[in-house]
Amino acid sequence: MGLVPDFILDFIDVSTFWTILFTFHALLAVALLGALTHQAASVLMPVRQVVGAGGAGFVTRFRAVHGPGYAVAVCVLWIITFFFGAWIYTKYRMYVRIPIEQQGFWKTQGVFELKEHLAVIGLGLLPIYWLFWKDARNPDYESARKWLTVLLAAMVWFMFLAGHIVNNVRGFGS
Amino acid sequence: MSTTVQDAPRAQSAATSTTFRTFATVFAIATPVIYTACEMQNWPLFTYHPGTNDVNLGWAPAVRNQGPAMHWYGWTATTLLASGVLGILATLLPQHVVRKIPLALVWIVPLAVIPILIYALRFFWRW
Repeated sequence: MGLVPDFILDFIDVSTFWTILFTFHALLAVALLGALTHQAASVLMPVRQVVGAGGAGFVTRFRAVHGPGYAVAVCVLWIITFFFGAWIYTKYRMYVRIPIEQQGFWKTQGVFELKEHLAVIGLGLLPIYWLFWKDARNPDYESARKWLTVLLAAMVWFMFLAGHIVNNVRGFGS
Repeated sequence: MSTTVQDAPRAQSAATSTTFRTFATVFAIATPVIYTACEMQNWPLFTYHPGTNDVNLGWAPAVRNQGPAMHWYGWTATTLLASGVLGILATLLPQHVVRKIPLALVWIVPLAVIPILIYALRFFWRW
């Protein structure tokens, strides 16, 4: 596989490289999932009062985040996770998809294809998402910001689970 | 510290800029539409062959005994390029025209193309 930089192979073997890259991709996806889930909860069920040190339950604390503070992190995480995923995709196409086809796991493959589509669409939504949250006091953006955030969160949940399913079918150790 | 102080107004300025708002709105609406068209019509900007590391401009089939051909990178490139151009062109429109674009389209359009993409993947939904 020519997509592994040669200088890295002086230190680690090819298999270790892909394992590290995939692990980073998965960890970044977890961070993105957490950030967007918090943000989506904060717009769907906003907390009207500031949560103090005591008294508030887990759900209240979960949704009581400062939404604008997550916007840049979500954009950066999406882009880096996308980049790593696109890199791993070459490996997937050669060494994962072909065996999945041979075993007839068509729906698993279809779900993964949809994940790739959603990742690109989400990428195109990031500039307006960033603008909506950076200008969070603009009342014109309130409804669009809410539903765009919820949509992005739902997309990330789907992509995370799809990746998890494919990894279960033919991931580490297969 | 001074960098942080200077960056905050700059980010605020970009966020409130009508030019950026126009670009981002049109980019968000165009991306799902163009991507869906690229996927269904197979319009990749380039084709990548992971087995040999070769790249062809536009659509190219898999080469016998040299592994698969990947079009997803090409669809992504076509989409981002075309949506970017549309976004830039939209910034040249008069503000009263741009203001008529409903902001709700930035989430309704991507949501609407998902069933179409699921349909486009019908080959995989079989038992």
